[in-house]
Amino acid sequence: MSTFVIGFYTILIAASAGLAYFKQDRWFMMIFSLTLISFITGIIGGAQALRSIAIFVALLAAAAGVSYTFKEFLIRIASPNVAKELRTAPLTAAFGMFVIFTYAIAGIFAPIIAPFGEAEVISSAFAPADANMLLGADQLGRDIFSRIIFGARNSVGIALMATMLAFISGALAGLLAAVKGGWFDQLMGRLADVIMSIPSLIFSLLMLSIFGTNMTVIVIVVAIIYSPRVFRLTRAVAGNIVVMDYVEAAKLRGEGDWYLVRREILPNSTAPLVAEFGLEFCFVFLLIAGLSFLGLGIQPPTADWGSMVRENATLISFGDITPLIPAAAIALLTVAVNFVVDWMLFRSSGLKEQ
Amino acid sequence: MSKFRKSDVLLDIKDLQIQGYSNETWIDIIKGVDLTLHRGEVLGLIGESGAGKSTIGAAAMGYARDGTRISGGTIEFDGIELTTATQSEKRALRGSRIAYVAQSAAASFNPAHKIIDQHTEAPVQYRLRKRLEAQEDAMELYERLRLPNPKEIGFRYPHQVSGGQLQRAMTAMAMSCRPDLIIFDEPTTALDVTTQIEVLAAIRDIVDQFNTAAIYITHDLAVVAQMADTIKVLLRGEEVEQASTEEMLENPQEDYTKSLWAVRSFKRPQKSRPTDGTLPIISVKNVDAAYPGGDKVLDDVSFDIYPGMTVAVVGESGSGKSTVARCITGLLPPSAGEVLYNGDVLPPKYTSRTRDQLRQAQMIYQMADTALNPKVKIHEIIGRPAAFYSGLKGTALKQRVDELLDLIELDPALFYNRYPPELSGGQKQRIGIARALAAEPDFIICDEVTSALDQLVAEGILKLLDRLQKELGLAYMFITHDLATVRSIADEVVVMQYGKVVEQGPKDEMFKPPHHPYTDLLLSSVPEMDPNWLTTVLEERGVDNIGEGADV
Repeated sequence: MSTFVIGFYTILIAASAGLAYFKQDRWFMMIFSLTLISFITGIIGGAQALRSIAIFVALLAAAAGVSYTFKEFLIRIASPNVAKELRTAPLTAAFGMFVIFTYAIAGIFAPIIAPFGEAEVISSAFAPADANMLLGADQLGRDIFSRIIFGARNSVGIALMATMLAFISGALAGLLAAVKGGWFDQLMGRLADVIMSIPSLIFSLLMLSIFGTNMTVIVIVVAIIYSPRVFRLTRAVAGNIVVMDYVEAAKLRGEGDWYLVRREILPNSTAPLVAEFGLEFCFVFLLIAGLSFLGLGIQPPTADWGSMVRENATLISFGDITPLIPAAAIALLTVAVNFVVDWMLFRSSGLKEQ
Repeated sequence: MSKFRKSDVLLDIKDLQIQGYSNETWIDIIKGVDLTLHRGEVLGLIGESGAGKSTIGAAAMGYARDGTRISGGTIEFDGIELTTATQSEKRALRGSRIAYVAQSAAASFNPAHKIIDQHTEAPVQYRLRKRLEAQEDAMELYERLRLPNPKEIGFRYPHQVSGGQLQRAMTAMAMSCRPDLIIFDEPTTALDVTTQIEVLAAIRDIVDQFNTAAIYITHDLAVVAQMADTIKVLLRGEEVEQASTEEMLENPQEDYTKSLWAVRSFKRPQKSRPTDGTLPIISVKNVDAAYPGGDKVLDDVSFDIYPGMTVAVVGESGSGKSTVARCITGLLPPSAGEVLYNGDVLPPKYTSRTRDQLRQAQMIYQMADTALNPKVKIHEIIGRPAAFYSGLKGTALKQRVDELLDLIELDPALFYNRYPPELSGGQKQRIGIARALAAEPDFIICDEVTSALDQLVAEGILKLLDRLQKELGLAYMFITHDLATVRSIADEVVVMQYGKVVEQGPKDEMFKPPHHPYTDLLLSSVPEMDPNWLTTVLEERGVDNIGEGADV
């Protein structure tokens, strides 16, 4: 038996014994179950399996540690009110915020961080990773690491713009429909029905082939596809608020629709809208990645995660994981945003106890 | 206590302490309350909201609501210690030996099932009766509770039955297993006075017939006086005093109890109409109204309100009181007739009224919670009408807001920058009044302003409204179903039923016979502090009459 295996079991058993002694029941159960599982996997898979378990646990611990310290850091730099809210955030939400923060830094400072330009050919096609290229080269000999960094700027930037456009148009229409009612409500509602009745992928493919595939068209088309969902949610939320007595009081005072929307309804509907924003962002992001994968999204040589998956797809048959890296970048961001949204939904739903 | 023997103790709570979780710490809600209940005894628990009445009621079943925990003391029900009993032991008690009747029967019945299905669930579950037997028994209970059509009513869905009948059906359901103890949590608070009396009579009879012990939770003293053998007064989680009903009513010991008893004493002199030819400030003339697609809700309604006077509009729910207010404010344009303001016709729809016309008719709402925007600071809520109508800005606006806060007896320094959810119910209602005053109106509609408040707080609001009327010469239209409020503050009374004005006139005439039969019914249904009141009224009306009155 190697020293690694002996060390591995010693640490696990010592940790479980210590936790049991100090009556940390939850942690003890977790660590000791892990010990039992590693007994079995150790017998079946040998030292290699134990090494994978150790790496996995170390990664998890590192992620938890980073999330925890990042949360504490945010609490210390935030204003007292925000800090109080942040204290309630679970570790998953802190992890999500940390990932979003990293992506934001990568996107904003892309030209400084990336060692090479996104369209720069620096070696032969599919060159393996070396000291110069952290993740190797793609099918044209461009550095994959640099392209992923630039991809953060392009993919996330476009998704963010499209989501914001969808939100501004959808929320505005929803709020006005709730306040005005009558024919305006009907008109907007039917318009939303029409858009939603067209399959979104076919609609976007059609629009992109008619108007060409530049950034503006992508943003507008995606915004049009997603604004009806925002419209429906906003109208439903605002519909519950419009019937409140304070809105009636404001109406009787003679306030205009814009004041009602801005001062009376919007402040009371921000929580579900913010949560929906996070959720929609994920969908928009995935749709744009999907469009790029089909070749109708962001056009080469602009780096984009969706098209990077497609361009390097052939490598997967050689057992290389390179095409999975941009895919993992997409997945990680989606998961991170959802963690943060979960926390916000929890806060806004008022399920504080238990 | 002489009526009950010591060996008959059914429920014995000692030094009960309950904590609630809020802002990440545990706060004491109930601070050591003792309670002893004998078989067949009815105990009235009274106190303001937040006194811990319902929490104690739930604890009597060994139950702590979400976010609360029983942190100390013992609860012994018929020899079983509930604080240490397991979930399954407690579950076996609930429904079969302890039953609960909630405040709102409409919200407590499952709307998807027929009443009788829900009624028979407990006896069948506990294998006390077979399904058909339970059904027969339900019909018998319905008959005893004087529900109309006892054989048939159980096969309806909850929404097909009126509120008072539903509350009685719920009492019948609580009786289905013949429990030893029933907890009534404000069973009549949500009902009209005329319906309340029937439910009270039914509950009292059935508790007597089966010799069931009961805890009756309410904030209405007159109601508890009819129901309870013993009364316990609570204040902020602590017992103030306990005595038998007669003793408590005649000779309360503590100051707090005395103040509760004195609450209905507020009266002010009645004013009469001006005789110098002043025009009424608001005059409703032959108004008909209907909601879109619905039947007529108002039928030929006319009355006048003179400057500086208070006109109370009374009637049961559904009588069209609030609809009249909606016609006056222009939210619901009348289908016929008109509303005059100082002799000028007001445009029927609020959107076509001028700012000055809108300013004149302000409203104060029943539910202060929904009447104030929770995300807007107090100074903006009050300041907005002042800025909107009078164009005040900067320091002038701040000064005006301070002035208004002083007027409603709230300290500007403390309340200027706070949000409505941080305030108590009474404070919120005061903010609502300040918002109406900020528009500098001559006329204010008060829509059930005190019905959601505790009696002491409501008293404070009424006094405030009265003071403001004297200082600012306001006219009020007071919509209410509470005749005690009418007695204390109104100058003139308008009685409405089924969208029609049944009777109207000065208050002193209205409260003196002869009355219109409906006014008479309303007046005689208001509970009085006399413990024998219910018995007397029932004798006067005759038992059969009650059942028919319930057939709404």
